[in-house]
Amino acid sequence: MSTSLTDRLMDRIGTLPGSRFVNRRRLKRYKSDVIGIKNIVLSDWLARFGIVVLLVFTFMALFGPYITPYEPDAVHREDGEVLRSASPAEAEGHLLGTTNYGGDVLSQLIVSARVSVGVGLFAALIAVFIGTNAALISGYYGGWADDILMRVVDIAYGLPFLPFVIVLVFIFGTSIQNIILVIGLILWRDSARVIRSEVLTQKQRPYVESAKAVGASDLRILYKHIFPNVLPLAGLYMAFAVAYAVIYEASLAFLGYGDPEVYSWGQMLFQAYNSGAIRYAWWWVFPAGICIMLLVSSVFFVGRSLEEITNRELRH
Amino acid sequence: MSQNLQKYVARRIGQLVITYFAFLTLLFVIFRLAPGDPTSMYLIEGMTPEARQELLADLGLNRPMHEQYLEFLRQTATLDLGESYRYSAPVSDIVITKFWNTIFLMGPTFLIAYVLGVAVGAFIGWVRGTAKEKAGVVLTLVARSSPEFWIGILVVGVFAFSLNWFPTGGMRSPGFIADSFWDRYLAVDFLKHLFLPMLTGVIFYMATPSLLMRSSMIQVLDEDFIEIKKAEGLPEYVIMYKHAARNSILPITTVAALVVGLSLGGSLVIETVFSWPGMGREMVQSVQFNDYAVAQAIFFLMGSVVIFMNFVADLAYVYLDPRVKYE
Amino acid sequence: MLEITDLETRYRTDEGDVHAVDGASFTLDRQETLGLVGESGCGKTTLAKSIIDLLPRNGDVAGGSIRLHDTEITDLSEKELRRQIRWQEISMIPQTAMNGLDPVKTVGAQIVQVIRTHEDVSKDEARERARDLFETLGLEPDRVTNYPHQFSGGMAQRAMIALALALSPSVILADEPTTALDVMIQDRILRLINDLQEEFEMAMIMITHDMSVVSETCDTIAVMYAGRVAEYADTETIIKNPRHPYTMGMRNAFPDISQDVQDLVSIPGEPPDLVEPEAGCRFAPRCPFAVEECWNEDPEPEEFEEGHIVECHRADEAETLREEANDRETWQEMAETDDPTMVGTHD
Repeated sequence: MSTSLTDRLMDRIGTLPGSRFVNRRRLKRYKSDVIGIKNIVLSDWLARFGIVVLLVFTFMALFGPYITPYEPDAVHREDGEVLRSASPAEAEGHLLGTTNYGGDVLSQLIVSARVSVGVGLFAALIAVFIGTNAALISGYYGGWADDILMRVVDIAYGLPFLPFVIVLVFIFGTSIQNIILVIGLILWRDSARVIRSEVLTQKQRPYVESAKAVGASDLRILYKHIFPNVLPLAGLYMAFAVAYAVIYEASLAFLGYGDPEVYSWGQMLFQAYNSGAIRYAWWWVFPAGICIMLLVSSVFFVGRSLEEITNRELRH
Repeated sequence: MSQNLQKYVARRIGQLVITYFAFLTLLFVIFRLAPGDPTSMYLIEGMTPEARQELLADLGLNRPMHEQYLEFLRQTATLDLGESYRYSAPVSDIVITKFWNTIFLMGPTFLIAYVLGVAVGAFIGWVRGTAKEKAGVVLTLVARSSPEFWIGILVVGVFAFSLNWFPTGGMRSPGFIADSFWDRYLAVDFLKHLFLPMLTGVIFYMATPSLLMRSSMIQVLDEDFIEIKKAEGLPEYVIMYKHAARNSILPITTVAALVVGLSLGGSLVIETVFSWPGMGREMVQSVQFNDYAVAQAIFFLMGSVVIFMNFVADLAYVYLDPRVKYE
Repeated sequence: MLEITDLETRYRTDEGDVHAVDGASFTLDRQETLGLVGESGCGKTTLAKSIIDLLPRNGDVAGGSIRLHDTEITDLSEKELRRQIRWQEISMIPQTAMNGLDPVKTVGAQIVQVIRTHEDVSKDEARERARDLFETLGLEPDRVTNYPHQFSGGMAQRAMIALALALSPSVILADEPTTALDVMIQDRILRLINDLQEEFEMAMIMITHDMSVVSETCDTIAVMYAGRVAEYADTETIIKNPRHPYTMGMRNAFPDISQDVQDLVSIPGEPPDLVEPEAGCRFAPRCPFAVEECWNEDPEPEEFEEGHIVECHRADEAETLREEANDRETWQEMAETDDPTMVGTHD
């Protein structure tokens, strides 16, 4: 649909007097860009699949508590006995059976989406925010600021992630806000390095020189000119950061360092594992793990398509 | 070694020292300067105020910070890592065995994962644009999207619980006395226990080098010299491995250090799932039980390994890329 | 020796098949240097690459014939092509020499590798030959152990030529061999190549957009436009008596240092879309001399003087048109008009 619209638009512009030769090529480029984006994102069925899954999980995250069949905390009984680890076949009305403590698996699953999506999103935002700004400043100003930043990034890379996070979370507390903060504070290293390289490249471009010649202040050049050019790259790394954040949160929860007040898929697997239920309670174990897998791979699928688009743009 | 090369290595060693120092300082800061009462970490519930004071004096926690820092550096240098209150034994004794247990698990895992990842990535990059590539990329991404513990659970579920081909956990069968080095790390019993956790790690850790190798290959394959090699009439596999892969591998070496860090960190998870008595699992438990001496020691070991690996990777890069030698 | 007849090469893309080469023909004799000239996108590089099938996955030769020493190359399998033709009969020099060499291997190793791939010789023998080649190219033989990045631009070009000559091919394809070099080095390299051609008895196809380079080094010139050969003749004819308006325009775009003050004339407009080539002469939209016939009928190649082949409906009026083409105004009118069909109809 958008193609025919673009086509018609092109034709329109093409008939204006004097424009015959000059604008054709640029219009052609826009047209191929639009086709490109449409092709990549929509006809790449992986990306389409990813978008659908992400939308579903976002919906679950936003409206989770309202759409669960039962209260996630509720303990279900049958004939006065707690329904422990009952399979879907045994437990009526529980599509995914019950947990070891009699909770409804499906309800817990839905509510957990909020944590995973939330942690992923916010931790990634923090990570990319810090990373981008650090990269902009260190890449542009260079000198000792750059040296220090690179050393800090080196150290950040040197620290094995999980042990570090466990220690921090344990010292500062296992609340969900802390977890988001800590994950963000470590993930920024990825985007910092890459964006800094891009800033260095952009710094050489003529538009920076001309901006300086005109008398633009450093800050202005940095944020009004260079920043928009690294934005696609930052966006891409934010996507990946979301993926990593979700995995780390799940791992934390699985090791027992998650926020005990909230439900998350990692938390569910922690409980399942510790109650020895993984030997048989597949209905409790599988859905949570599969959800993590689906969420993260969807982010990757969409991220990869975006990568093809940003690469093309970065080639200007 | 040429002049430039010597200078480069010297510079790198200098950086290594600085980074290491910063790391130790960070370690110190984290473990001492927590908000609230820092000493609470070292205390057990129900201690009398006198016993508390005694313990504090013992641990040197009532002395000024800079003194503590110097003492900390001294202890680290002499590998006097304190005592674990949980085991009532010197930390070094406890940690040493666990350290080797982890190395013998994650070491081979990392190597296999990396080599396999690079080979698969090169192949996927070479067959770009075909269905094989798409399938390869999807599988790799899915592996990357599943946290280690999830892969572990699946692997255990299939191979141990259902098929009964491998034990479900631990490093040795109960009752198996391991006296010699052979018995401990090379016997069949050990290998049987090693297989599933290693498989888990390999699946997860080969994803990153595989994807990177693929990107690198794609970029390299675009270059003019690849076309010239084709024009020269060289056979495909020669171009793919001797020229394309050889050039693609350069950025991958720097990532090796990163993956080592990942796998060391991941050992916490894999060892937990498989009840493997390594330092990863030990760390998880000791933090939980407030045994900070042990946790700190393990963190120190892991960080040192990673920083050192970074250094090795940098040197490897120089060896592999002739252009850097003459910077 | 080398005969290209009605060659058609296409690329399959999302937007359709691009007919990059749509019926091109020329011949090449021993030791002849042919200049393949045209602006970017005209198909000249594709044409050259088609000869040894160096096309990407989505490209293939869709029609026509390529005969080398009386063998039809398009009939050969990939294996035969690889073993018999590539580098052995036809080798290549890329635009930037540095990019044509594997950066992590020494230049000598790469020469040795190509020699030993095609011939059964010992490593030592191959190394000797590599050193000899370097010497012939004016490079220090000891430098065979250097890596590509250790050579300067001009030296790297020489090293690349040495590699290209390693198997004494019959034809060398030179893709814009001097674009990346400064004028002085350019001159030296061109002279060197000419000398070597005699010594090695090689023919050369030089692909370039630079008419001045072509006029110095080439025996014959094929001017390409939109996938077809617009005009094909020996160099002198092309420079002095072109019959195709495009050639006339191109000639004017390059300054002649022997003249006093010149107006540089450029041909306004863009080359056409090669996915759906329209009927009629492809140059018509940009041609100041286009008449109705030009818009409706494809011009067929016609031989005027001996060896001078042109694809233009008005090639017989060349003399008058040449005068007009020399005048800047003719082209400027094209740039400013809305309706190109109106321009040039001065009768």
